[in-house]
Amino acid sequence: MATRTNSIGKSNGIRMSRRTFTKLTALGTAAALSGIGSVSAITDKFPMIASASPEEPGVKLVKSNCTHCAVGCGFHGRVENGVCTGIEPWLENPINAGSMCSKGTSIAEILNSPLRLRTPMEKVGGQWKQISWAEALDKIANKMKEIQSKYGPDSIMYIGSAKTSNEYCYLMRKFAAFNGTNNIDHQARICHSTTVAGLANTWGYGAMTNPWNDMRHSGLIMFFGENAAESHPVAMLHILEAKRRGAKFIVCDPRFTKSAAVADMWVRFRSGTDIALLWGIANEIVTKDWHNKDFIAKKTYGFEKWWDVVKNYTPEVVEDITWVPAATIRQLAYEWAHPPDGKPACICWAMGATQHTVGTQNIRAMACLELLCGHVGKPGGGTNAFRGHDNVQGSSDTSVLSHLLPAYYGLTEKDWKHWISIWNEHAPITYEELKAKFAEYPAGSGKSLMNVTGIPVSRWHDAVLEAPSQPNPIKMVFVWGHSLNSIGRTKTLKAAMEKVEMIVGVDPHATIAASLADRPDGIIILPASTQFEQDGSVTNSARQTQWRNRIVEPLYDSRPDGWIIRELANRLGFGQHFTYEDTARPTSDYQRMVSPELILKEFNRGSLGIMYRGKTPERLKAQQLQCATECNVFSCEDCQAKSGPLTGQYWGLPWPCWNENHPGTPILYHDTVPIKEGGHYFRTRFRATGSTPGNPISDDGVSQLQEGGYDQKNADGTDGDGWMYQINESFQSLIDQNICPSGTGRARFRAWEMPDPVPVHREPIESPRPDLIDKYPTYNDVADLYRLKTPYKTIQDERKNLVNEYPFILTSGRQVEHMGGGAETRSCHYLVELQPEMYAEINPAVAMELGISHWDWIWVENRRGRIKVRAYVTERVNEGVIRNGRRVEATIFLPYHWAGILEGVSYADRWPPGTEELAYGESANTLTVEGFDRTTVMQETKAALCKVYKA
Amino acid sequence: MATHYKFLNVIEKCINCGACFAICKDQNKVPHGTARVKIVTINEGRPGEKNIPVSCMHCTNPPCEAACPTKAIEQKVVKDWQNKEVIVVTVDKHKCIGCGYCGWACPFGAPQYPHHLPAELEERKGIMDKCTMCVEPFDPKKGEERLAKARCGLFCSTKARLGGDIAEIYPQYKEAKARSTMAWQERVI
Repeated sequence: MATRTNSIGKSNGIRMSRRTFTKLTALGTAAALSGIGSVSAITDKFPMIASASPEEPGVKLVKSNCTHCAVGCGFHGRVENGVCTGIEPWLENPINAGSMCSKGTSIAEILNSPLRLRTPMEKVGGQWKQISWAEALDKIANKMKEIQSKYGPDSIMYIGSAKTSNEYCYLMRKFAAFNGTNNIDHQARICHSTTVAGLANTWGYGAMTNPWNDMRHSGLIMFFGENAAESHPVAMLHILEAKRRGAKFIVCDPRFTKSAAVADMWVRFRSGTDIALLWGIANEIVTKDWHNKDFIAKKTYGFEKWWDVVKNYTPEVVEDITWVPAATIRQLAYEWAHPPDGKPACICWAMGATQHTVGTQNIRAMACLELLCGHVGKPGGGTNAFRGHDNVQGSSDTSVLSHLLPAYYGLTEKDWKHWISIWNEHAPITYEELKAKFAEYPAGSGKSLMNVTGIPVSRWHDAVLEAPSQPNPIKMVFVWGHSLNSIGRTKTLKAAMEKVEMIVGVDPHATIAASLADRPDGIIILPASTQFEQDGSVTNSARQTQWRNRIVEPLYDSRPDGWIIRELANRLGFGQHFTYEDTARPTSDYQRMVSPELILKEFNRGSLGIMYRGKTPERLKAQQLQCATECNVFSCEDCQAKSGPLTGQYWGLPWPCWNENHPGTPILYHDTVPIKEGGHYFRTRFRATGSTPGNPISDDGVSQLQEGGYDQKNADGTDGDGWMYQINESFQSLIDQNICPSGTGRARFRAWEMPDPVPVHREPIESPRPDLIDKYPTYNDVADLYRLKTPYKTIQDERKNLVNEYPFILTSGRQVEHMGGGAETRSCHYLVELQPEMYAEINPAVAMELGISHWDWIWVENRRGRIKVRAYVTERVNEGVIRNGRRVEATIFLPYHWAGILEGVSYADRWPPGTEELAYGESANTLTVEGFDRTTVMQETKAALCKVYKA
Repeated sequence: MATHYKFLNVIEKCINCGACFAICKDQNKVPHGTARVKIVTINEGRPGEKNIPVSCMHCTNPPCEAACPTKAIEQKVVKDWQNKEVIVVTVDKHKCIGCGYCGWACPFGAPQYPHHLPAELEERKGIMDKCTMCVEPFDPKKGEERLAKARCGLFCSTKARLGGDIAEIYPQYKEAKARSTMAWQERVI
């Protein structure tokens, strides 16, 4: 066929302006990628993109990181005349090699969204009114002072964000401390707090053990309550590569998810029975003698007492609890113990495993399964917790949490003094001065609330409506980058938001912080800059920190989070502690006085417990630069630099990164390589009464040192916890001697101080099996858990036969097109076009019986309320069973990203005009049960009961 | 020597994340309600579920070109982003009369007929729109220099969608395909 050389000519000038944003109408002049010739000698496969900019006047490509999940994908923002006109792939980023999902590729649209909040706004007399920044900040600071003097500092709740950079997360935690309260919390509470508690109590650190890329080396990848195809699509790049190399990919999930569609095997089990299924697998492994006895003897503790519990969970017993046939459990056990080619197996999870009353124990059970076959601490093995937000690992590391100080230090006097000594170096502050800011409770008892865990975000609304163990309930709330529709029980939330005296929302979008409460005044919302308008570092799920450059200057009248914190601190009288002036930045730069580089250095200095110390801004930027000047430096196989000046360094310097000479520790507990090359051991963290330095013991007197091991060290090599507190030491001499300062301890099958030393199956609060509740009851009620009364047994017993009224199992989860509460993604045309409406997935058999057709309106109802949604008739969810002539145990699945409608009534009119999202829907969390994890107060969103009927 | 630019989809790896759809919209400003690439799912919700990204495949012998009465659809040679001469199938929106014959001729359903068009074409509804291989819009500053760079292939979250020189992507396709099938049944305990 004849073809003609070029000249598509002037005919194809696509000049569709995508919005009224006039600067963007000149989209016809997109970037050409010349300059390839100069670097093509380096690589044929991935020609350079970044270096195109010099030859392309007016076009700049800026390296940045996506904000939509914790994989940490890199991309180039394309900037023309100071406006972001699109994105280009960053092919050399070892984590994603250019790949992104639908949310990531919509970043330019999300950044430039005309629906963003443009100026500070206040609700007065039922009307939204524009106010200036100065007026808004003055009003907020005055109200804070009023509340603090009238009700005490604990009556202000600070809800922080996992979307903020490490630096401003750290500043946020410090801000709460200077306001004299521990009532600060963020998404990690309702996301992976149980992972941190479960893993940290098993072997020392509560983080994903292996990097994303490392899954390429796995022999078997098992998903438990994780749907990476929707929640972490780019993780599937590595998982499917592993599968191509011969690995098996098994998905255990109540739903046939998109991940299950590409798996080798899919096992359906009942929501909330993870432990039973895991113990069924473990039971079969030990019965068949497939466990790694050498590993268990040398490196673990408590196997015998663990077996005393697990021996009762035979595959037949588990079949009755979980729906999974005993033969399938035996097959899973075989696969787990015999991955192909002798490679290790890794287990991955997300909210499906964490959001349960037994969340922490679910995670413990998974870690025990890893220990059983010795899969942990090896390339290709490990426990991979897929965290949710882009910086949720970083915000956990900087501890925007009510029970921790930055870097996972506790709330004891020693830990406070550690951080105050760091803060004192910046501006003078003493322990006594800070302690004076905190309230005493009970009054006159001399017990400072400084050392008491604060209110968790999952129950902050209860702390408004009930009587928490503090001087007064919550009276004012900061919603600083948190979608409240991800918190359970929307109606309770609404009542709480109507009762507090003031709500302060800080977010690029108005969100439901502005709109859920039906109140005429008392709401101020501040437009924060997006992550693409401020510099800072972000830590992804695999502990890799990347430097995120601003793509453009803050749009509209928005301001970086750090600037807002400092302005408030100035007004509250402790601004000097929040001023980090970087004279290299221009005076017009809002980050000049809150320099992320200086703040990161301060955090690094104090972060000995997890060792951010090697992650200096200079090293992070050098990695990025190296990635820009030379191609394929960092290997996609293990994220290590194979050439150039950074040879040996791991991408993102995963913590623990002991000092500025250390390459980072990509795989936790990988004890066959030297410490200075990224080796690591189980920590000697667990010490029952009677332990001494050098001899940590369990409650039954067993040494917690592994065979030939040693205790944690001071910098001079003596036994002690000095490695966590000696801020002036570099620990280089220990590293040189290949001594791990955190010790070489044993991982625990049995965690003696936890509510369940060995996890046991406990039925959810609302169980569809009344007959199992007696045998596997939930916990006893707790009088004071994170300052609140928490009933377990009482409400479970009361709802024992609830299945007669509400026969179906309610669970919730993700849609790939939306993120979190969805304020950003539901404001994006493309994503709304892909996923325009809220729905409930329902099995065809159930739908037929109820007379429901696909896309009909239905009500999903339980004790917390009801929601009106579309019926998505699909076999993804199960059809249940017929018991006593009634259909029960069918699963109803709800995506949780939606807001704007409550019980069939829209509250879209309560958004500030012009900021309404494009698509609304009922919030799935309207129906969330009042169940909470026993250790971390994670809400139980994945197992409740409901009924369905046609609307 | 010009070479053909194509798409190949390793459907065993497609997870229906929608990246191709979204980046196409973002890059090419495709109007609402129109999709130059769309993921079609078969057997949704049950074992055997497969997702297939469907778009213009830039056929070697395009049936749409044969069907087009005004010669609006043509195969052309342009440069790609690696400075190689490549052949793609293009549509000249000024010649298109919106008859829809290409829609009948195309085996993939690729031609789209959006109602919302740029201002200068507003009076002619239903002008055909389809994948351009992200060939850059005409820029008078650069003259006739036009670069093709299919963003959907570069951004695909699992590298299931391969876009580019057929000689380059076909070996990648074969390699990816080799062991990506449902292997479970083959490996019996």
